[in-house]
Amino acid sequence: MPGIDECLLEAMLVPGARGAAVVDWISGLALGSVGEPSGSDHEATAAETAELARMATEYGAFAPEEPAVDDDSGKAKGPPVEDLIVTTRTGYHVVRFVETTFDSSVFLHLWLDRELGNLALARLRLSDLAERLVLG
Amino acid sequence: MRTAVSPMLVRLADERATGVLVRDHGALYLADGQIVHAESPAAPGLDVLLTASGRLRPEHWADAVAQAGARNEVARFLVDSGQVAGGELEICHLGALFDAAFFALAPGSGPTRFRYGVAHWIGAVRPVPAQVVEREARRRGRLLDSLWPYPEMDTAPVERSPHTTELTVSPRQQALLNLADGVRTPAAIARKLGRPAFNTLIEVRRLAAAGLIQIRAEPAEPTEPTAISEIAEPPAMLDSALLRRLRDALEASL
Repeated sequence: MPGIDECLLEAMLVPGARGAAVVDWISGLALGSVGEPSGSDHEATAAETAELARMATEYGAFAPEEPAVDDDSGKAKGPPVEDLIVTTRTGYHVVRFVETTFDSSVFLHLWLDRELGNLALARLRLSDLAERLVLG
Repeated sequence: MRTAVSPMLVRLADERATGVLVRDHGALYLADGQIVHAESPAAPGLDVLLTASGRLRPEHWADAVAQAGARNEVARFLVDSGQVAGGELEICHLGALFDAAFFALAPGSGPTRFRYGVAHWIGAVRPVPAQVVEREARRRGRLLDSLWPYPEMDTAPVERSPHTTELTVSPRQQALLNLADGVRTPAAIARKLGRPAFNTLIEVRRLAAAGLIQIRAEPAEPTEPTAISEIAEPPAMLDSALLRRLRDALEASL
């Protein structure tokens, strides 16, 4: 998969998808967005989602107890928080943290229609997309 | 609606210009009116972001510039040679672009120049409409202000606050705090960590608001204290309303 646009277009193929974005959770910047925004516009949606994601990464309550690096292989075990799921009356939000080999703070956000979407499927597809976005 | 940060940028975008816009604190590269690259002395470049983490070896970066720089295709070379994935490069480059643009579009007093026809050797990655970059720069200014309205923190040496708190910090924040030695500025910390400068300013202001980081306290005066030095306020105590009024006045006069 060559880049952000292709990744977002693939995310929109997930059944029930209404909107998707790649967002930096420190700055609140939307690096790319497609479909409908769940908030007032894509910019505000990105900033608000970023705030939620940031808290999940910063609060000790959500930090895994085990070390971030595997003792045997010395390799990183993946992001401490993998994804966030918010269920609303009419929709689902899945936020998947993207792990890059350089120091970054980026996640994928997918917003789904509750009637048409399948949360378990969406979560798996988004985790696969997040991985392929940075593997090429 | 607020007036544009740079009226010249709006005009250049409208006429679909190609070239480089040079301002006081940085430069914006345009192709057909869209922003394709940005640079600022205040923001770590793509090379720093990719090499500081060990993602790319400095000699491989230098090799890519040597091989593809002359034909303005360094980004494509890095991806085609399998050194950086396309998605990774876009994430990294967009981060660097918006980061440098924020500083380049900061209010400045010097002249703004545009040189037509100039292209950057990094080449095409992911062009961004000029109005998106400008809107984002304004949003960033407001965000910094809303977190902790002390802009002097952005350029001053920072150190960990001497007061111990019960607050826990994330590994990301801890890495930043470890480098806050009273000598490094937030920009120097960003460079060392290989993170965008604006993201570091955001984290520094959040940590300051939480009481974990501060501008380096001036060493105590060896001379006997006088009434005047006791009254004098340290910079961190500057009235934020006054700073806001000053900034608004500066912006209004541009």
